[in-house]
Amino acid sequence: MTIEQLQAAAASNTWSTIAPEIGLGVLALLLLVLEIVFPKKKHALIPTIAIIGQLGILLGLLINFSPAYLGSTSFNSLLQHSETGQYLRAFFLVCSILVSLLGVVALAKQRMPRIEFFHIVMVVTGAMMLLAQSANFLLLFVALETVTVGFYILVSYTRTNPLSLEAGLKYLVTGALSSALLLFGIVLLYGVAGNPAALGSTDNPMGYFGVRQFLAANPGDFLASVGIVLTLAGVAFKIGAVPFQIWIPDVYQGAPTPVTAFLAVASKTAGFAVLLGLVYVFQPYETLVVTTLSIMAGATILFGNLAALTQHNVKRLLGLSGVSHAGYLLLGVIATLSVPDAAGAVWFYLFAYLLASFAVFGVMTHVAGPNDAEQDLDHYADFAKKRPYLAGVLAIGLGSLAGIPPLAGFMGKLLVFMAAFKAGLYPLLAIAVVGVVISIYYYFGWMKAAYFSTWRPPLPEGEPEPAVPASTPVSFPMGLALGALAAASVVFGLYQGPFAAWLLSR
Amino acid sequence: MSALPLAALEGAFAVSLNAYLYLAAVLFAIGFFGVLLRKNTLVIYMCLELMLVACTVALVAFSRYNGVLDGNVFVFFILTVAAAEVAVGLAIIVALFRRRQTVQVEELNVLKN
Repeated sequence: MTIEQLQAAAASNTWSTIAPEIGLGVLALLLLVLEIVFPKKKHALIPTIAIIGQLGILLGLLINFSPAYLGSTSFNSLLQHSETGQYLRAFFLVCSILVSLLGVVALAKQRMPRIEFFHIVMVVTGAMMLLAQSANFLLLFVALETVTVGFYILVSYTRTNPLSLEAGLKYLVTGALSSALLLFGIVLLYGVAGNPAALGSTDNPMGYFGVRQFLAANPGDFLASVGIVLTLAGVAFKIGAVPFQIWIPDVYQGAPTPVTAFLAVASKTAGFAVLLGLVYVFQPYETLVVTTLSIMAGATILFGNLAALTQHNVKRLLGLSGVSHAGYLLLGVIATLSVPDAAGAVWFYLFAYLLASFAVFGVMTHVAGPNDAEQDLDHYADFAKKRPYLAGVLAIGLGSLAGIPPLAGFMGKLLVFMAAFKAGLYPLLAIAVVGVVISIYYYFGWMKAAYFSTWRPPLPEGEPEPAVPASTPVSFPMGLALGALAAASVVFGLYQGPFAAWLLSR
Repeated sequence: MSALPLAALEGAFAVSLNAYLYLAAVLFAIGFFGVLLRKNTLVIYMCLELMLVACTVALVAFSRYNGVLDGNVFVFFILTVAAAEVAVGLAIIVALFRRRQTVQVEELNVLKN
């Protein structure tokens, strides 16, 4: 490498391009300083500062949504800036703000240190924002590991609760296993693409573009094929696709409810952002990629829906239904190889999923008792009478997840299925439609538990009524946020307008 | 980057790239099946580290034979990530042991259907 090349590399380090991520990092560190500086009585202020600070960063990002550096690369082409990247940055920030709001409610029920939670949530969010814009396998691995290690801590955050710790351990083992698979895949791709003797070898074998160029010149290379399958397997772990979904129900159940929401929405979206980038890189090996992903998608949709049917714990139910959502989204990912607007459909689906999931998880956070892992369908008995507002939000959220028109979830499914139809994935579409029909059963079972009283066998003499934890009152900002999520689910179902048009043109 | 003087080395000790790759694959497989089959959390944890080490071996070998240095730089990132993972992982295992007095996976099965 010559001096000129090094100078060019150093000149490409334009720090202003990652201002939102730096802002999040500074804010996260500021929180820890404030915890030391503030007297104990004023610690309740710190989460408010965290949320207001994140809102400020989100506002700054939206004002400067199309900066001059869009379409270029920075940091020696580690980062590729695009409008999709800007959209995902905003998406992850919204997730982070909502998780912080839920965190305030959930942490009040535990005797736990508070501030670190918000700190780690912000660090993880910053890493996800970088992940969504990565154009290099090195950055991909480091950012993904920052997210994963952050999640190990968040999942086992309630360290007085053995269930939370057990979930943390399970997530740790499966997460580290998937990282190792991904890493081995990356190493194989790096090795074959950088071989100077090979046809189409590249001088940047870590970059997405270099690897794509090599793959296009060498169809059917054995080591590259193994690398592709291992890399896809590593990402499949993160999005929870069959056969790598084993951790999902246990981890979703044991983790604190805000963290479950964060895992379900933000972690899944980050996984799909990575997957869409990788599918583009692996396009020269289309047959291999499509075969692998199609088998996964079909199995994922069927497994997720069938396993969710028998669940009584609502967190496990949402986890397994989340597996089936990952399956529908995989259809969209496969379609991106032949239909240009399929990626936009995936982003819209994830947006609708964010609105609906956070509405449902917000309600769950209020219903949960001190033991976060035990949240049964029975706890929702007479819910509509006791808490009509929360029950309304729950109904809209669940309806949107099930894909009932005219809610946003229906439009998301419609767009993804239309993209899959255009791509000619008819057998997978048939499986997906069957899956949607099955899913209505368990989502409506939950609604039924909340809205209609069911007959229960009389208890034997002397046995106490099973205790239902008292649900927490809704604070004004939380009520506003939940109302906005529910309203947005309805509005985006009826009118997608320029937003969907903009997304579909990505 | 100029080509490394591999030809001069090959006479002295002829270790081919494939030999390193087989070693890495074997180490990776030992680690992978160790994670799936072993019952003690700490042993599982060591197997996870073994998988990362296998990746490192392959990476350094590729970097050497391709005559580029970025693979060697990647190794430092892997080491750092592995250290962070171990720090968090052992903290979770210790906290769990203090609650449950066991680190055997078959006894850590409260979360299930």
